[in-house]
Amino acid sequence: MRIDTLLSTIILVSFLVTILMAVGSYAAYKLREARRPRVEPAKPGEESRFFERILADDR
Amino acid sequence: MSIFTDADSVARQIGIAFVLAFLVVLIARYILLLWLGYLHHIESRGRARGDDYMVEPPVSIIVPVYNEEAVILPALRSLLSLRYSVVEIIVVDDGSVDRTLELVSSMVGRHGGTTLRVIAKSNGGKASALNTGIAQARHPYVLCMDGDSRLDPGTLRAAMRHFSDPRIGAVAGNVKVVNRDNVWTCLQALEYLEGLNMARRAQGFLRVVNIIPGPIGVFRRDVLRSVGGYDTDTFAEDADLTLKILTAGWHVAYEERAIAYTEAPHQFIDLVKQRYRWTRGILQALRKRTAWLVLPRRPLIWVSLIAMLFEAVLWPVMNVLGNLLFTVLALSAGAASGVIYWWVLLTMLDVAAALYAVGIEGEELRLVPYAVLYRFFFITMIDVAKLLATAEEALRVRMTWGKLERAGRI
Repeated sequence: MRIDTLLSTIILVSFLVTILMAVGSYAAYKLREARRPRVEPAKPGEESRFFERILADDR
Repeated sequence: MSIFTDADSVARQIGIAFVLAFLVVLIARYILLLWLGYLHHIESRGRARGDDYMVEPPVSIIVPVYNEEAVILPALRSLLSLRYSVVEIIVVDDGSVDRTLELVSSMVGRHGGTTLRVIAKSNGGKASALNTGIAQARHPYVLCMDGDSRLDPGTLRAAMRHFSDPRIGAVAGNVKVVNRDNVWTCLQALEYLEGLNMARRAQGFLRVVNIIPGPIGVFRRDVLRSVGGYDTDTFAEDADLTLKILTAGWHVAYEERAIAYTEAPHQFIDLVKQRYRWTRGILQALRKRTAWLVLPRRPLIWVSLIAMLFEAVLWPVMNVLGNLLFTVLALSAGAASGVIYWWVLLTMLDVAAALYAVGIEGEELRLVPYAVLYRFFFITMIDVAKLLATAEEALRVRMTWGKLERAGRI
């Protein structure tokens, strides 16, 4: 095999592997998000259970 | 058999036409961005000479925070060291469940010409926190930033110069990556210089910047209030607000010396998460302006919206497909050396652009070698993530806000 054919084949394979890695990372991200425990947002008019009120201070 | 060969030939011709179009767009894009960016740079240097004589109108700085205990203190210290006379800092705690509120509360009070206040509210998202701060702002100009960003001491002074022009409604700042300690973050540092800031600088010359970045944006308070502040119906509230300001008829400028340092995602999976949100958010913001996209009402704003759509969707498609098609076509035509020349030339183009971007911003030269990995590896991975996010947005797949974990490197 000629050197330019070999190099260009390596380029093509590397490029395809990069695309596959990107798709794999995306799938991993989606999987991680799906597994993350969900916190239900506070309903309208209801304060968060972590809420601690501190008034604006004008000092 | 002959029909199959004809079809094969047509497909090859379409492929060649696409590759040629890609090459033309690639070079035209670089030339346009570099040229407009350079004009902006010259204009910016000229304007900087008048800095000593400018008045300093008072400014309110809004800092929305949610679980920022690792980074909030350096961020606030950077605000207290701004070279500006009258500043009001309003920290809006968006229902943090860590020690953020406690840390911020310890700094409340007057610090020279700067007053620091804190407002605690239940969790409602970043846009809601920013709106709370805007409603409380007492000064006629408002700087909105992220709780995990740090400002350069000269940032505010540099940005405020633009408001001597009554047509300017807002100024976008220059975001830089602070944690340049692995390949991913160095590539992102380069991307901010060569990709994001170069485009913003070019748009800045035309006063139609289409995304005022979350880490640093300065606004006229009345403009913010007249457009209704930040909307909560997109995942890119900064892009959405910018488009609201532009379509309301205001000019949006870019200031390269208004610098904000931000911590970039350390791992690729977090980078995917960030770009997923950016892409879907930008598409959501654009969808709200479909009428502006379809029917150009003001030419420059239309160009800015089209540029946004191009960078979010069309360019990633062209980049991935163009490179893949050229490689496959050249190999199948027996022109293997063409593939090597193609990638060497593209890499040289990226290295030249990196040198230009690093030079114009006085940045670290050590970022330039990363340009070798930039197109082949980094941008391809980012573009694939953008394309998948675009597909999800087209299918209206449900999404939620995710918060990036910060290591406190600012």
